[in-house]
Amino acid sequence: MDSIRRIIYTVREEADIDTVFAAVCQEYPRHEAFDVQLERRYLDSFDWRLYRNNLVCGLDRRDRFGHSSRKAAKDHGGLFFVADKATGADICEFPVAQTPRFSKDIEHHACRKLLSSHLGIRALMTVASIAVKRRQLNILNQDNKTVAMLSVESYALKGDADKTIFPSRVIVSPVKGYRKTFRQVIQMINDQLRLPSVETTLLDEMLAAEKEGKVEIKIPAPGELTLSQPLKDTHTTGEAVRLLLRHFLHVMQANEPGLRDAIDTEFLHDYRVAVRRTRTLLSQIKQIFPAKPLDYFRHELFWLGQITGPTRDLDIYLLNFDGYRQELPKVMQKHLTPFHEFLERHWKSEHARLCRKLDSKRYQRLIKVWRDTLEEKNINPLHQTRQKKTAEQETVNVTLPARQVAGKSIWKLYRRALKEGEAITPQSLDADLHELRKTCKKLRYLIEFFQVFYPDKAIRNLLKQLKQLQDNLGDFQDLCIQTTQLNHFAEQMQQEGHEGYADTKTIMAMGVLVEKLYLRKTVVRAEFHRRFKTFAQPETSNAFSDLFNPQHQPEGISV
Amino acid sequence: MKIIACYNIKGGIGKTATAVNLAYLAANEGARTLVWDLDPQGAASFYFRIKPKVKKGGKGLLAGKMALDDVIKGTDYPNLDLVPADFSYRHLDLQLDDFKKSDTRIHKLLKPLKAEYDYIFLDSPPSISLMSENILKAADVIIVPTIPTTLSLRTLDQILNFCEKASIADSKIRAFFSMADYRKKLHKQIIENPPENVQLLKTCIPYASDVEQMGVHRQPVTVFAKNGKAGQAYQALWNEIRDNL
Repeated sequence: MDSIRRIIYTVREEADIDTVFAAVCQEYPRHEAFDVQLERRYLDSFDWRLYRNNLVCGLDRRDRFGHSSRKAAKDHGGLFFVADKATGADICEFPVAQTPRFSKDIEHHACRKLLSSHLGIRALMTVASIAVKRRQLNILNQDNKTVAMLSVESYALKGDADKTIFPSRVIVSPVKGYRKTFRQVIQMINDQLRLPSVETTLLDEMLAAEKEGKVEIKIPAPGELTLSQPLKDTHTTGEAVRLLLRHFLHVMQANEPGLRDAIDTEFLHDYRVAVRRTRTLLSQIKQIFPAKPLDYFRHELFWLGQITGPTRDLDIYLLNFDGYRQELPKVMQKHLTPFHEFLERHWKSEHARLCRKLDSKRYQRLIKVWRDTLEEKNINPLHQTRQKKTAEQETVNVTLPARQVAGKSIWKLYRRALKEGEAITPQSLDADLHELRKTCKKLRYLIEFFQVFYPDKAIRNLLKQLKQLQDNLGDFQDLCIQTTQLNHFAEQMQQEGHEGYADTKTIMAMGVLVEKLYLRKTVVRAEFHRRFKTFAQPETSNAFSDLFNPQHQPEGISV
Repeated sequence: MKIIACYNIKGGIGKTATAVNLAYLAANEGARTLVWDLDPQGAASFYFRIKPKVKKGGKGLLAGKMALDDVIKGTDYPNLDLVPADFSYRHLDLQLDDFKKSDTRIHKLLKPLKAEYDYIFLDSPPSISLMSENILKAADVIIVPTIPTTLSLRTLDQILNFCEKASIADSKIRAFFSMADYRKKLHKQIIENPPENVQLLKTCIPYASDVEQMGVHRQPVTVFAKNGKAGQAYQALWNEIRDNL
């Protein structure tokens, strides 16, 4: 491929633009010139996965008075592009009828593959936009063939056309096989105007302006949306818990608009994980909050877990749907379509119900009181009305070093996980495995919260062992729920009696699916003992003991 | 990378129009696309307003004095490039004969472009020769425009026989009716009773003045008359070919 790439210059003075155009027009009397007005939308996931992976993605949309600059985009809604952030080189560029929401909506195979490797199931959303006024000059040869392109772009913030805070750019683009003209144009600009070339993308320039408060772009800081926070060795338990809880509340609130707008399923997922982590911290790191407010928060956070559950469950069924279809023989696959429609219909009503709950006074009160509590310097302001002595007893761990309290709690949970796991026999109920799964999840969360206190390698090994057991327990629990719930859905579809829903072929296809899932559940169940044996092996047990056994901790901690 | 050859022994049946329009539609979807205008008449190059001239000629390419990549020209459309025709291509048959493995030379030249393009369209000259054999062997799919007439169907049989003798899998061949004129009884009859010895694409390209206008506009019909009968038919044809690749 051509090694020459387009060159971008910044324009110091607007008068330079006319000079550039006049000079090039004079040198190349055969040309076509036109103006275009565009809206450039930069697209990325909520957590900027593309940008963080060195990609800049966007869509140039013609505004209603403008015209597209590229012949190919004339009849389409916009020109979709993906460029390399470091070099600004185009990776792909093609017209699209509408903005793709997910990578799977992109027809172009290589582009879809590239974006889905970074986005996964996350949606593309507009993360920044800017109005672009472009003057385009195509230099033509004797056959009226374009041999080089020159364009000048001026930028204005949307809705504020007069406010041009970014310098205009002159862009000279080569056409493959016509180097000579391109080099002549570059030479002309270099000789006559001495414009500085630009290395950064416009998006980078916008992000730099955001730091100066000139534009508003929401780019999450590194770690802002992760589900843990770095703690310090000097933190008391009260400080560490407050830091973590504040962070989880921030994650919940950051994800709330996205889950309400149903941009993608990860908003609700991350919201629920933040709630679950909050609940784990409140239940496992004890003697931090006085009993009365603690009861209120635990009760209300449990409620939050409950009201977000049905929508999340339906999200999972919809995400798994292609997999369900693949489980069936080809001739039966199409019979599942009414089930998909049923899921989508119920998802809509459950999501609407969830949004109503999030609008409720109960929810608003919970968030307000919780935020107020965490923002107070004193971790437990609600105890002021209580007797001082009782309050002190209930919060004895607040001032103790976080490492000591965390270690003891982790050790206790680990012992519980071992006890529950050892009690499981082939005859045990599914519920027993579910209990162990919950214990393991809490254990994992606690280790992750406080991992900075321990050697990195040792923690990574323990988490790896734990994760292997959790994967098995998670798969088993998912299959338990799915086999039960699919039967329930089939009954519900028959009861609802909507046209097509109770179709015998659909019910039969669902029956076959349940059978397949049931078989898989049996396999996963049989795998449990091997996984647990690995987890409970002496090496792992010794590692847990070395790191968390309270005998290695100072006395005086109440857990 | 998929190599798609537009081939027929006969001339004037819409090979170049097919290659140019399908290539444009592929590029318009974002696929990196190349057209190699192998016909010394240079009609595809003309449609893209590119001079039918290749430095050191066809012999230079075959001998490796010029890499194919070095003679590629960008068209006026994003993602769409062209290897122009050259009048010297009329001697390619003779020149190919001088090389070892002379029937796969074209394929060898295309190999280095594998990572650069998603689709390569070969617009072949009307002949049945060593050059044709090269094109047919290099292609993953061979698109054969066929006018719905008795003589054209006879030619289609000749192509199938040629492929069989040259050990070219007939599963690569996709014929379709081109320049179909429904006012003509014979065209209608043949379209309604198509041959069964070849994979026939469902889409028919109608005889339309828009296709002739390509020479006036020097653009693919799918650019200047996208919603016309011919423009729509080429879109349907591309969808059908792409979905069955």
